[in-house]
Amino acid sequence: MATNENYTIADTVDITDVVCPVTFVKAKVAIEELELGEVLSVHLNDGEPLLNVPRSLKEEGHQILALNDNEDGTYDLIVKKNA
Amino acid sequence: MTITVAGNKKEYEEGLTVAELIKVEDVENPLYVTVTINDDFIKSDTFETTVLQEGDAVEFLYFMGGGC
Amino acid sequence: MAFTDEQLERYSRHIILKEVGVKGQKKLMAGKVLIIGAGGLGAPAAMYLAAAGVGTIGIADADVVDLSNLQRQVIHTTDDLGKPKVQSAAETMKAINPDVNVVTYEDFIAANNIADIIKDYDFVLDGTDNFPAKFLINDACVQAGIPFCHAGIIRFRGQLMTWVPGEGPCYRCVFKEPPPKDAVPTCKQAGVIGAMAGVIGCLQAMEAVKFLTGAGELLTGKLLTYDALTNTIRTVNIPEDPDCAVCSDHPTITELIDYEQAACDGLSKDDVAEAAAE
Repeated sequence: MATNENYTIADTVDITDVVCPVTFVKAKVAIEELELGEVLSVHLNDGEPLLNVPRSLKEEGHQILALNDNEDGTYDLIVKKNA
Repeated sequence: MTITVAGNKKEYEEGLTVAELIKVEDVENPLYVTVTINDDFIKSDTFETTVLQEGDAVEFLYFMGGGC
Repeated sequence: MAFTDEQLERYSRHIILKEVGVKGQKKLMAGKVLIIGAGGLGAPAAMYLAAAGVGTIGIADADVVDLSNLQRQVIHTTDDLGKPKVQSAAETMKAINPDVNVVTYEDFIAANNIADIIKDYDFVLDGTDNFPAKFLINDACVQAGIPFCHAGIIRFRGQLMTWVPGEGPCYRCVFKEPPPKDAVPTCKQAGVIGAMAGVIGCLQAMEAVKFLTGAGELLTGKLLTYDALTNTIRTVNIPEDPDCAVCSDHPTITELIDYEQAACDGLSKDDVAEAAAE
């Protein structure tokens, strides 16, 4: 498990190899496997996934803790399961 | 008096019975219709004697046997 | 049970829904639904439930596909004429979704076989076309405690209701006994718009989906009626009959009954041809 001063990542999911809507579906499947309060790291591409996936996770009631720019066209979205 | 029949408010004469309402409304297959007033079943042998009251809500429930 | 990438994509529109999600899709995939009648109502219900990934779908019907079926029974095609309906329906369901386990019963349901057929299922859809069958399905499901959805269609109208143990009236609370033979027309005699079978059959599939996933409210204690000519959809409250012959705490019907079919419901193709010639 990767750690950080603010959170402990319980699981990671890579959605850079799929397109909408499977991007969000894969992230949603991964977060549903977690316990309440656990944190998921989502590896995603810039562009459409970056626009839609964080918003959809927020709409489901989850909390976005951070968005880390990997500076290679991908990001790591850190989400806490709240719902 | 005002009665709601199948969701529609309508004016009827005082003293109207369920049997008379079935005639007035030209209910299909009147011998085999199920009637509720204010969400209670009315037994078919009391249609002649059940007098409707102001504000009653009446529903006619019909047999529908198709599906094939 | 983890989803394959193909399943994630196939069921993505379900999984995205807050009311379904991963858990709901897994419930659908573990679900067992029996459809009695592979006709107008059963056709769309079977197709949508197969597409939804319902794990096991049973389908019961003794008829073969007839030309007059194709106006509404969209699970069968012209190439299926003469084929047993359950076989044709199973082929279509498997073509839509190979993941689904289809169980066929090429038989008319009757008092001596229904209890054995329904016992393995979570939910039953009544897609039959006659009152003896509708009363039999009600009585058998109530006695076995198996939830089911009743529906009927005729001309431009249709209706449906759902029964779940302890959650409201059964079909017999509302309609005590089958009407006398030929007293109430069936769709064979009176006609029906094909799309009406589609609308009401889809609503039955929706009841099965809501039951399996736990999403929303079922049509328990309610009769949904649809009149296409007046664009009227109503949900009418139906009370429980405390003296119901089947579902009350002092039932008077404790054995299953084979009521006599209306004369016209038993017509063969030859009879129809003969009648048309007269």
